[in-house]
Amino acid sequence: MFRTRAFRDIVVVLVLVFGVGSVAMLLAHVSPIDGFAALFDGAFGTKGEVAQTLVEMTSLLFPALGIAIAFRAGLFNIGAEGQLIMGGFAAGWLGAQFPLPGYFAIPMLLIAGALAGGLWGAIPGIMRARFGANEVIATLMLNVIAVLLTTYLVTGPLQQGGANGSETGPLAKAAQLPHLFGTQLTWAFVIAIVLAFVLRWVLMRTVFGYELRAAGDAPEAAKRAGIDLSRVALVAMTLSGAMAGIGGATIVSGVLHRFNTGLSPGYGFIAIAVAIVGNLDPLWIIVASLAFGVLQTGGIGMQTEAGVPREVVSLIIGLVIIALAGRRLIASRRST
Amino acid sequence: MNATLAAVLAVLALTLVKATPLIYAALGGVLSERSGVVNIGLEGILIAGAFTSVVVSGATGNPVLGALAGVLAGMLVAAILAFVTTRLAVDQIVAGTGLNIAALAGAAFGLVLIYHQPGASHEVPALGHTGEIVLIVLAFAAALALHVVLTRTPWGLRVRACGEDPSAAEAAGIDALKTRFWAVVAGGAIASLGGVYLALAELDLYSDGMTAGRGFIALAAVIFGRWTPLGATGAALFFGFFAALQFSLQRAGVPSELLQALPYLAALVALAGFAGRVRAPASDGIPYVRS
Repeated sequence: MFRTRAFRDIVVVLVLVFGVGSVAMLLAHVSPIDGFAALFDGAFGTKGEVAQTLVEMTSLLFPALGIAIAFRAGLFNIGAEGQLIMGGFAAGWLGAQFPLPGYFAIPMLLIAGALAGGLWGAIPGIMRARFGANEVIATLMLNVIAVLLTTYLVTGPLQQGGANGSETGPLAKAAQLPHLFGTQLTWAFVIAIVLAFVLRWVLMRTVFGYELRAAGDAPEAAKRAGIDLSRVALVAMTLSGAMAGIGGATIVSGVLHRFNTGLSPGYGFIAIAVAIVGNLDPLWIIVASLAFGVLQTGGIGMQTEAGVPREVVSLIIGLVIIALAGRRLIASRRST
Repeated sequence: MNATLAAVLAVLALTLVKATPLIYAALGGVLSERSGVVNIGLEGILIAGAFTSVVVSGATGNPVLGALAGVLAGMLVAAILAFVTTRLAVDQIVAGTGLNIAALAGAAFGLVLIYHQPGASHEVPALGHTGEIVLIVLAFAAALALHVVLTRTPWGLRVRACGEDPSAAEAAGIDALKTRFWAVVAGGAIASLGGVYLALAELDLYSDGMTAGRGFIALAAVIFGRWTPLGATGAALFFGFFAALQFSLQRAGVPSELLQALPYLAALVALAGFAGRVRAPASDGIPYVRS
C-alpha cells in the first residue's frame, strides 16, 4: 500500500506547503512560525473551527470523488466547478419554489442536484461518445456557461421572492440539512464519507467499475475485450457530474440555505488537486480532502490572525497541482 | 444616417479593442498546440503579463518597460509549463489548470504585498492611445508572421512535425522536446501581450479577475480557427464582435449573460459539429517520452 512513489508525493506536497508558505509569509513580514500557528489555530482552534474545517472538507470531497470517477475512466473532467454550480442551482431553485415536508425535501434537493450536475457532465460525455469531441475543452466551456446561465436564470425568468441579486429565494427550514453536534457541520459530511466507500466498492468490486478502470488504463485492450468505450465514457461523465452536483446541493441545503451564483470559491478546481493527491482512490481522497479543508479554513485564520493574505493557500494549491501532474493518472495505473 | 454610420463605426472600433487580447492569446495557443502542447494555462499567462506590466510600469514610470516586463513574465510562466510538459512529461491539462490557479492567486497575493490593498492596483502610467493602436496593429502583424513562420520556415515545419508525430520528427533528427519547449515559450510571449494590452492599453491598472476567462475564449478560438493563426484570428474577431455588440444589444433587451455565453456555446458547437472535418494536431496533448 505504501509505495515509495506515494511517499515521494507526500514529501513534495509538504515541501510546497511549508516552503512556499514560509517564503510567502516572510514576504508579508510575518514569521512562518506565527503564520503556520495561525493557520492551524484557524483550522483546529475551537470546536466551531474544527466543524468549519470539516464543512470545507465535505464541499471538496464530493467534486473530488466525481473527478476521480472521470479520471479513472481516462476522461479529463475539468468541469466539476460548473457541475457543482448547476447542482446547487437546481437544489436551491426547487427548494425555494416548492416547499416540501422535511423527510421528503432534503432527498429531493440532493436528487435534483445529482440530476442537474449529471446532466452537465453528460453533455461532454455525449459529445465525446457521439462525436469524439475533446472533453477537456467542452467541460472548460461548460464551467463558464454554468455561471452565466444560472446568473441569467435567477435574475431573469426564474427570479424568486426574497432574492437579492444573483441568488434564489431562501430555503424553508425543512429543506435545510440538519446540523451535527450543535455546530455548522451537517449530515452532508456523513453522506460524503459513505459515498466515498460506496464508490470505492463500485470501482473495485463491480463489473462496471472494472470496465471503467479498463477503459482508462488500456482503452485498446478494453475495446478488444468487448467493452463499449462510448457507453463507459457517457456513464462515467454523468456519474462524475452527479457527484459534483450533489456537492453543490449540499452547499445550498447545508451551508448557504439558498443558491447564490458565487457559492463556490473554486471547489471544482481545488478538487482536482484533492483527487490527484488522493491518487484517484476514494479512500485516500477522504484524507486528501481533509488536508485541503485544513488549508482552506486555516487560510482564513492565517489572514485575520497573522495578516498573511489567504491567497497564499490558492497559490500553494496551484503549485501542488503542477507538481503532481507528473503522476501517471491515466495509463497503467497500479492495481489496488 | 450619420448617426447610424457612427454607431456602426463605433461597434467596429470596439470589436478591434475587444478582439486584440483574444488574438494574442489565441495565437499563443495555436503555436503551442501545433507543437503538441495543449496550453490550458493561457489564462494564467494573460494574468502574468497584465500583473507584471502594471507593477513594472508603476515602479519605473515607463509603460514600455512595463510591457516588456509583462512579456518576460508571460514567457517565464510559459517556460514552467513547457518544462514540466516536455522534460518531466507531466499531464498538460492538469499542469495548465494548476498554472491558472497559481497565477491568479500569485497576482492577488502580489497586489496585497505591493499595493497593500486587495482587489486592484493603483493606476499606473499606461501606453496611451498610440500604444493601443500599435498593439492592435501588431496583433494582426503577429498573426501574419505566425502564419508565415508555421507554413514557410524550417522551424515552423519542425514545430508542426512535433505536433503531428514527435517520434517521426526525432527519427528525422529533430529534437522534439526542445522544439516543443521553445514553441510553448514563444507562444507565451505572444499570449502575454494580450494581458499587457488589457492592463496598460485598455485600462491602466491590474485588478483581480480582469482577464475574465479570455484565456478560455482563446482556447475556443484556436479550435474554431482550426489550429491555424489566420483562422484563430478570424475567430477572435468574431468573438470580439459579439463582445462589442453587447452594449447595443443590451439596450435592445437581450440579456448580457446570454451574449457573454456565446463564444463558449460556439466553441461547443464547433467541437461537436466540426468533428471529422476539423482535426487537432495528431499528437496534441500527448507528452512525448523518448524510448
